Amino acid sequence: MNERGVNERGTNHPRHRNACEPGKVDAIIGCGSQPLCGLLWWLLILLMICQVPVSGLCESTSPRISFMPQWVPQAQFAGYMVAYDKGFYGNAGLDVEMRTGGPGKDCFASLSEESLTFCTGWLSTAIQKRASGERIVNLAQMLQRSGLLVVARAQSGIHTPEDLNGKRVGFWPGEFSVPGAACLRKHRLRVDVVPNYTTVTLFLKGPVDAIAAMWYNEYHMILNSGINPDELTVLRFPDMGVDFPEDGLYCREDAFLANPSMCVAFADASLKGWAYAFAHEEEALDIVMEYALRANTGTNRAHQRWMLARIKDLMLPAGEGRPMGILTRQDYERVGSELEKLSLIERLPRYDDFYKGRSADGDRNQTAGSRSR
Amino acid sequence: MAAAFLGSHAFRRRGRLVRGARKTQSGPACRIAEPVKSQESLPGEALYQKMRFRGKELLARSPFPRIPFRKLLEYWMVLATQGVLELSVRDFHPSLWRRAMTVLVEKTNNSTREVQMIWRIRNSIVSKMTLLVMGGASLVFALVVTYSYLYSREIILNEAEQNARNLALSVAGRIEQEFRAVGKIPEGLARFLESQPCERERNLLALLRGVVSDNREIFGAAAAFEPGAFVKELRAYAPYFFKTDVGIQYVQIASPNYDYFQQDYYHITKLLNKPLWTEPYFDEGGGNILMVTYSVPLHWPSEQGKQGSFRGIITADVSLEWLAALVNSVRVEKSGYCFIISDTGKFVTYPRREYLMAESIFSIAEEQHSPRLRDMGRAMINSISGFEDIGSDLTSTEAFLAFAQIPSPGWSLAAVHPKEELFAEVTALHQRTVLLAAVGVGLLFAVSLWVARSLTRPLLRMADATRKVAKGDLDIDLTAIHTTDEVGQLARAFGHMVEGLKQRDFIRSTFGRYLTKEVVTRLIESQDGLKLGGEAREITLMMSDLRGFTALTSHMAPQDVISFLNRYLGRMVEILIEHRGIIDEIIGDGILSFFGAPEPLEDHPARAVACALTMQAAMAQINALNEADGLAHLEMGIAVHTGTVVVGNIGSEKRSKYGAVGSEVNFTGRMESYAVGGQVLISEATYGRIRDLVEVKHVMQAKMKGIPGKVMLYDVKGIKGRYQVTLPEKNETPRPWPERLKVLLWRLREKVVQETALQAWITHTSDTSAIILLGSRLEQWEDIRLVLHTSETDHVEGEVYGKVVSVSEKDHQYEALVRLTSMSPHVHKFFRQRASVA
Repeated sequence: MNERGVNERGTNHPRHRNACEPGKVDAIIGCGSQPLCGLLWWLLILLMICQVPVSGLCESTSPRISFMPQWVPQAQFAGYMVAYDKGFYGNAGLDVEMRTGGPGKDCFASLSEESLTFCTGWLSTAIQKRASGERIVNLAQMLQRSGLLVVARAQSGIHTPEDLNGKRVGFWPGEFSVPGAACLRKHRLRVDVVPNYTTVTLFLKGPVDAIAAMWYNEYHMILNSGINPDELTVLRFPDMGVDFPEDGLYCREDAFLANPSMCVAFADASLKGWAYAFAHEEEALDIVMEYALRANTGTNRAHQRWMLARIKDLMLPAGEGRPMGILTRQDYERVGSELEKLSLIERLPRYDDFYKGRSADGDRNQTAGSRSR
Repeated sequence: MAAAFLGSHAFRRRGRLVRGARKTQSGPACRIAEPVKSQESLPGEALYQKMRFRGKELLARSPFPRIPFRKLLEYWMVLATQGVLELSVRDFHPSLWRRAMTVLVEKTNNSTREVQMIWRIRNSIVSKMTLLVMGGASLVFALVVTYSYLYSREIILNEAEQNARNLALSVAGRIEQEFRAVGKIPEGLARFLESQPCERERNLLALLRGVVSDNREIFGAAAAFEPGAFVKELRAYAPYFFKTDVGIQYVQIASPNYDYFQQDYYHITKLLNKPLWTEPYFDEGGGNILMVTYSVPLHWPSEQGKQGSFRGIITADVSLEWLAALVNSVRVEKSGYCFIISDTGKFVTYPRREYLMAESIFSIAEEQHSPRLRDMGRAMINSISGFEDIGSDLTSTEAFLAFAQIPSPGWSLAAVHPKEELFAEVTALHQRTVLLAAVGVGLLFAVSLWVARSLTRPLLRMADATRKVAKGDLDIDLTAIHTTDEVGQLARAFGHMVEGLKQRDFIRSTFGRYLTKEVVTRLIESQDGLKLGGEAREITLMMSDLRGFTALTSHMAPQDVISFLNRYLGRMVEILIEHRGIIDEIIGDGILSFFGAPEPLEDHPARAVACALTMQAAMAQINALNEADGLAHLEMGIAVHTGTVVVGNIGSEKRSKYGAVGSEVNFTGRMESYAVGGQVLISEATYGRIRDLVEVKHVMQAKMKGIPGKVMLYDVKGIKGRYQVTLPEKNETPRPWPERLKVLLWRLREKVVQETALQAWITHTSDTSAIILLGSRLEQWEDIRLVLHTSETDHVEGEVYGKVVSVSEKDHQYEALVRLTSMSPHVHKFFRQRASVA
């Protein structure tokens, strides 16, 4: 049902109509009287000549592309929703279908199955996938820091990572499990890992002692369940030596090689969406809330406001003047060597093969990638 | 000094303020006047300039001599408007301040009325009293009303809190019962399935259907099993029955798109291994509604009392619609409502549907930036029941929130009580109280106004009366003041005072005719003016008398005597007062007066002589008037003597006068008898003091009774120096008549005309004297009466009085020089005719 909703949205959005759809041209020509049609023809030709440099991309290849974030619609993906709703994708000549992610939807799997063009995912997961042979490439690294936490009640006696030993801890299963596993291995912790599928109820209702939480999401959910920060112990993953930057934008390598400009256009439009979202917080929240309502996620604006602010903190870490969306070689290699060390991967794929986004100085990594092939 | 000069000039020109000008000329005002000139032009400049000079006068009295008047007015104005004014109203004259304010009003663009209001309020007992009474009463009322409001509010709040808590508890109790009832059903089913192995799918489905169909509150029921725990070959098996519009529907929840193992109701129940009420959620597995699920763990049949391992769950779903209907049916005040939050603060029911599933009380608190609401939410989750003021954080109006826990699901039911409605009664009561208080204050205002008016009305009347009295009008009427209180007493006392003043005025005006102003003033105004007793003082005494008046009066009509005397005395008294003589006594035509007491006069001898000469000169006018009226021609004699006498209030307490006593007074009387008409005789003592000033016609020697030796008397005809009075020259040398005229002569003894008439002849006359020839000898200074006979039968009407000045013997006859003192108009006319013929 949710997917259907977004599909409808994708095709009906007024700002998303593509002027150079073939059917549309016919429709324009087909109308009106004969002498007027002649004039219109000429006008149209003139118009098309003018538009060629801009719409050349979609003229030549305007395949319907799809995008799905790794989780339900929320401010974590505000930039994409804003880019879509503000028509940034459409303006870039992209015909995007926005899909709804969520529990039970593995977007990397969808990517591999070629049913999805773009998705978001965690860097550690993506490196693991690439190392295990899935040929995916990173187009932009959105989050520069890890927002992962382990949250426990202060009264539970958990104050350090070591205190987790022997405790029941809720971790997300599947593609979100890599940093958790890394953390457990790094600290040689033996914990009773309980899969946490959806909410923080697992933590609130009491069957687990601690729970993995995103700083921008679950942590705030816990706070807004009436538990004050001073009643919680918060173990930040970066503090535990597992600072794996999370959300990045991915696509299949072959899709990228087939149409790199389209992929770059999508990444750029997404980044533009992010910039817009951070600059127009309330408008972005309006858009996010609309998506969330449609997906019936049961969220609220206060939560989304917190999330957007935290995502901004993670995308634009204070004190670093780096532009958005960059995966540095250092970060990549740091995460990769950590994963190697913990035997979560066997061999780290080459940075240039993996990353096809902007470099810190603004150049694209795609040329390097092409060269390396 | 230029400004000061200008200022004083202006004062002189204005006349009325000469005193002010004098002040300006000396002392601090001069210094202050300087900075006032040539300042910027202001709206009220003209008037201000006019006032400047008055201002200087004020400044002289100002407690702040160095501050310019203009500044002072400004300060005053500020103080007046701020209500701190006390310094200058008393110091400055009100009328000037009023004008000063007019200037200031123009300057500061304030409304005149406002200032006048301040003025009036500050200056009226009525307004002061009314304001004080009103202020006091309002304060008391306000305190009482506030106290009663707060107190009754407190009571009502306590009561309301109890009621609200009870309401919340009772509603929560009802819901709890429902939940327990609902909970019992899956629990019962689970126990049943654990005790009686039910391996046939049909039986299980029938049981589940029964749960849904038999229980109104249960929307749906499911059993969900561990992989292969019911049907061995199925990884997931979860039959679900739920209500729809078309009856009970069956669905198999387990599907590739819906993994019930991941759902809270399964996952957490399994982990906890105990029954669980889930958070409200939107179920996509079958019902597609907002619901909560009660999930009971189902175990494998037990072995010897030991619980078997986890096999699955039995659930019962409760539609939030149903719960909302239940909660919404509870009435809270008029517009209050109930709602439920889950144990994580999420809204389970709420009048605003969009809150459900989305908002929690904490998200609202965060959006509203309300730590109070957050604390409220925590309290709701953590305590059994409570009552808190949440302001308008959750609702648009201020409200209280009562809450009670629903133990089974761990939820909390809250009842929102709008403050307005909770306090509706107390507010209404308070409004009535305030209204009553306002009416009371209004009545009090009227009463105090009336009282103050009734107090001040007589006072104002008296003030008017006082002003009238001050102007000299003593015809006041205070009979309208009837009260017997202090004001009435004051009015009566005032009336008495005015009566006293009237009497005094009467006394003053009546006795002023006989006493000089000085004496009257001294008597009335000096505290010991009426004290009997006196002092020895050297004064100059003057005695005047009309020659032959007493004798004359016997032939005159009484009316004529009085009008004659009034004319004569009126003029004489006038002259005396002009010369500041003190009239000691008026006896008939005689006046005894003195100079030099009670107020000491340096030049009393000269003054007295000048007065005497003036009086003598005035006789010509009086005689002219008398002749015109057909009255007798009279001559006056005056004696002036200086000596030490006793002056003071003489008499008894009942009747006394300011006068002089002593032998010198008697001496003056004697002297006077030597004076003939038109003569001013002064004594040696007086002459000695003004020797250089007086012109003496001749000197007489007189032998007086009781006084040894001769007394020198000086006939004065003028005085030089300051007074400059000279009597007109009179023809005093008797001239012979063409023929002598026969007269009948009567001698007067002790002012009484003797019976016997003597025959005599007038041979010579002058304006003032005559020479008479007769047979018998007359005594010097003897008074005589003559009747003129023109023939044997005819005589000139009227008579002549005279005094024998000298007598000489001639041919056995005696020739007497007679000074004529009075004569009838006819005689006077006759004499003049004769003189002209001669």
